[in-house]
Amino acid sequence: MKFFKRMQELDRRWIYMIIALAIIIPLVIPFDSDNLTTPPTENLYQMIDSFAGREDRAILMSFAHDASTMPELFPMEVAILRHCFERNIKVFTFSNSALGAPIIDYAINTVKDEYPHIESGVHYCNFGFKPNLFAMVIGMGDNIATTMNVDAEGRKVETLPIMRGITNYTEMNLVVEFSGSVAGGTWIVYARPKFGLNVAVGVTAVMAADQYPYLQSGQLIGMLSGLKGAAEYEKMVDIFAKNNQSFSREKLNDPSVREMIRITTQQVASFSPDEFAKFLDKYPQHQGLLEQYKVDRDGKVEINWTQIPPEHAEQLGFFAMDELQRQANHIKYAFKTARVGMNAQSVAHIVMILFIVVGNLGYFAQKLSEKK
Amino acid sequence: MTFELISNLVGAFFTLCIFSFLYKDNPLYQMAEQLLVGLSVGYSLVLTYHRVFIPYVYQPIMIRHQFVLIIPFLIGVLYLTRLIPKYSWLSRYPIAFSVMGVGSSFALSLHTAILVQMRQAMVPLETINLTLIFVGTLTVLLYFFFSKAHTGTYGKFVNVGKWYMMIGFGASFGLTVMARVSLLIGRIQFLVIDVMGLMK
Repeated sequence: MKFFKRMQELDRRWIYMIIALAIIIPLVIPFDSDNLTTPPTENLYQMIDSFAGREDRAILMSFAHDASTMPELFPMEVAILRHCFERNIKVFTFSNSALGAPIIDYAINTVKDEYPHIESGVHYCNFGFKPNLFAMVIGMGDNIATTMNVDAEGRKVETLPIMRGITNYTEMNLVVEFSGSVAGGTWIVYARPKFGLNVAVGVTAVMAADQYPYLQSGQLIGMLSGLKGAAEYEKMVDIFAKNNQSFSREKLNDPSVREMIRITTQQVASFSPDEFAKFLDKYPQHQGLLEQYKVDRDGKVEINWTQIPPEHAEQLGFFAMDELQRQANHIKYAFKTARVGMNAQSVAHIVMILFIVVGNLGYFAQKLSEKK
Repeated sequence: MTFELISNLVGAFFTLCIFSFLYKDNPLYQMAEQLLVGLSVGYSLVLTYHRVFIPYVYQPIMIRHQFVLIIPFLIGVLYLTRLIPKYSWLSRYPIAFSVMGVGSSFALSLHTAILVQMRQAMVPLETINLTLIFVGTLTVLLYFFFSKAHTGTYGKFVNVGKWYMMIGFGASFGLTVMARVSLLIGRIQFLVIDVMGLMK
């Protein structure tokens, strides 16, 4: 009884402190966990993936939010951009909010760092900040190039190579809007009934409940809700897009995929002798250096990429190091932010549930003692 | 010092200023809060000038001589009369044009928010989910029908609608908690990973 009384009188600042620790510890000491994917996320993934390698298909990402909702929405944007860059899907970006425009640059640069071959105007096109969403939504249904006119870098949109085969919503057949408030509203009201555009949204968890009626009625083809939605999408990109494969439920449910989605640092790139020979053929100039770090174990060739010092890593170059990390199933931090965040989220939820249980028990214990 | 380091340190300083409110209200918190408002307005103003005023007003009128655009420009300028109490009534004209936009969206909004939703509520009850949606829609709608007292069998029936709403509010609350914790996670990720570099 005394314990409950003390808990009831606990200064709220101690609660803040405990919640902060519950979040900081899992972030600093990550652990491998799984995020089960849900149909709204899977549907969006499959829709985007169906555009892979097609000249006459593209997606549009609408960044309708500012920095205040970035922790939830930014990992979604990074995951979708990564999906597009991995699977050669044309992607357009734009924002109808002045404060959303710099977030587009930040998201593209975050992903582009890992994909040096990706070019602006060829693989993606950023329209930047465009005011008057209504006019843009209607105009793009007729012609994207004349409506957008110039991209964020001031180039005429119609002259860009990415526009080959892309005229209007018939080709740019999917828009994904990211928003911290009502997402996808203008697209569902104007573009979907009039032009048959497919609409999906990425929303903060607060707004997710409001979007379900549109999802249930088929007006939204998919939805990413909060950090959980972002974590699910990151996982699917690591399982399928990263390995240049299409979505498959069998593979998603296969226990072997656990090795692909570990969010702790994966150090050892393991090759079969044939795979290693092919790897060496790709980088003949670095053969000596790679041989130096290889270890033969149980018929496999292993290289611990974390043991390669920075000067040798620089010598090997981006592509060889990237391939080693891929072979080790190592995921770069920018591409697992949401999943690391979900670990912290889980721990914080458990702590909060404990607080709620203890608080309620304390309340009833107090009532009981007052009755006595 | 690199630009990235400086920007991270500035970001970390202001994040801690905001977090200091958890202890109690203080001048550092207020400074950070007011700076955020000022920066957002300033940034939007400059971006709007360069990305809206120049390409959509200045260049068409002054360079391409599309003088007809002066009319909508002047109507838009009337918004600024809100700042002068004596002439603030003039701002109703641009507002009237905005309301016209609302009217134009009425039919399509009706289709999206009501007709499609109704159609989806009138499907064969083949699965448990569809049955639950049907019962929920009916009982919640009846709950807001106040011309009949919520008593007897009817009262028990509409009470089911109340439970549906309670479950809905509970789900919303759970999602809200999740969203707020996500924001905290985002800031702490910034502090421990970007600023302190504790994880790669």
